[in-house]
Amino acid sequence: MRRLSGAALVTPLVLVLVGVFVGPLLVMLPTSFHPYVPGQGIGTSWTLENYTVAFTDGYYREVIGRTLWMGFLVTFIALVIGYPLAYFMARTTRTWRAVATLLVMFPLFLNLVVRSFGWIALLSNRGVINTLLMDLGLTTKPIRMMFDMTGLVIGMVHIYLPFMVFMLLSSISRVPRDVEDAASTLSASPSRVFWFVTLPLTAPGILAGCTLVFVLTISALVTPRLLGGPTFKVMSTLIYDEFLVKLDWPSGTAFAFILTAIALLVIWGANRVARRVAGGAA
Amino acid sequence: MKGPPIWVTAVAVLVLVFLQLPVIVVAMASVSTTSYLTVPPVGFTLDWFVEVLTDKDYLEAIQTSFLLAFAATAGALVLGTAAAYALHHRMVPWADALASFFMAPLIFPAVVIGVALLQYYALIGLRWSFWGLLLAHIAITVPYVIRACLTSLAGVKGELEEAARVLGASGFTAFRLVTLPLLKPGLVAGAFFAFITSLDNVPVTIFLLGPRQSTLPVKIFTSIEHGGVDPGLAAISTLLILVTGLALVIAERWVGFSRFV
Repeated sequence: MRRLSGAALVTPLVLVLVGVFVGPLLVMLPTSFHPYVPGQGIGTSWTLENYTVAFTDGYYREVIGRTLWMGFLVTFIALVIGYPLAYFMARTTRTWRAVATLLVMFPLFLNLVVRSFGWIALLSNRGVINTLLMDLGLTTKPIRMMFDMTGLVIGMVHIYLPFMVFMLLSSISRVPRDVEDAASTLSASPSRVFWFVTLPLTAPGILAGCTLVFVLTISALVTPRLLGGPTFKVMSTLIYDEFLVKLDWPSGTAFAFILTAIALLVIWGANRVARRVAGGAA
Repeated sequence: MKGPPIWVTAVAVLVLVFLQLPVIVVAMASVSTTSYLTVPPVGFTLDWFVEVLTDKDYLEAIQTSFLLAFAATAGALVLGTAAAYALHHRMVPWADALASFFMAPLIFPAVVIGVALLQYYALIGLRWSFWGLLLAHIAITVPYVIRACLTSLAGVKGELEEAARVLGASGFTAFRLVTLPLLKPGLVAGAFFAFITSLDNVPVTIFLLGPRQSTLPVKIFTSIEHGGVDPGLAAISTLLILVTGLALVIAERWVGFSRFV
């Protein structure tokens, strides 16, 4: 009876997910092994070329390399500027923590397109920052910040920073104050306490935050498209163009699976490291 | 208890300002009297707001967006709560594996789900249909409901529901009158995340829309892509900012949902 009602509660959701998540991925798999025939679409013969070309063609390799480099830069910067903020939130008064939480959460819930639009207004050649710099006489020509890595990284850091801050915050909040106090009592300087006590204790939070931000960054479509433009491509915008502009679905699906494999690999690797660290500590 | 060092506070304040920067810029640009985007704004006008709110295309996109977000949230809430309840009480075999499966749409790059659905819907004839779009949105929003629900269920004592059963309540009545009210904060938080996620989504939606359909974020996205950056876009964006801010404050006041982040 219990089994029966359990199945009744779970089955509808399983059906929906099999129908619109597993099914589509399975249907997409064979497409990635067919050649693209210009004018006709998906060919009928079988080939591995869609995958091999991603690693042999210079252009595709550049796009993959750029995607990973962007993921690394965004993760690193989000960690460096997110840690002080999370630390502040963990150690300040209740009121300030609540205010800061709302201020971090607000951009998180704000529409992604709107946030990217804000960065266009700030970073474009006739945008706020360039106008300000030119008015102050600091530069005569606008500095190019869009359609290249600079703008992309700034916008992406802004968008994924809240995830990093919340991951770090929950980790820093769990550090027992007694341990830090004990180190201070034993005459460790505040910076020593931080580097040798607080930081190592928050390592799991750092790992979780970095994994999340990296995976979200390499998967993002909207911001790279709007701030990178049609020419400065990353993997997700490449997939978008293969499907909607070039109509080369076989190549697009192969890239979709490569991107998914990278994301899953990063998550799997991070889990292994986390388990090993936790196991070593116990 | 001593607070954080002064330089940490300074960096924290700067980062908080950085986080609000694009919001402030968009809001300021929306009231400019110029026909191009400029900050600080030149003069002050609300004409752009009137213009977008009387634009038929925008109104249709707004309607589609909200209809989709409400329906997807309702669907995710019903399916997600039912499944989370069964998982929590281990009423099904392989509960852990199922939980991972339900969370999987969160891990897969959204653009991958989008292109996979494009081909699949074209194949089974669901392309450009609202129902196809709705099912896809339920799949990408249900992880938030499941997570919030499982967190809340962990804090609800099972004995309470058993007591109700002993006193003669049927299974569903016991759930409705005892467990459900205790789950409310978690459900509100999960619903809020689900709603925002659906309302925000571009990478899945954009592949499934027909030529004459649009949702609000997709419409703004394509306008920017085609170079149409003007104060009208800033105005519609500012409206979204206001709605989001208001929803956030209400949800926080109502259930203090920042606990669930």
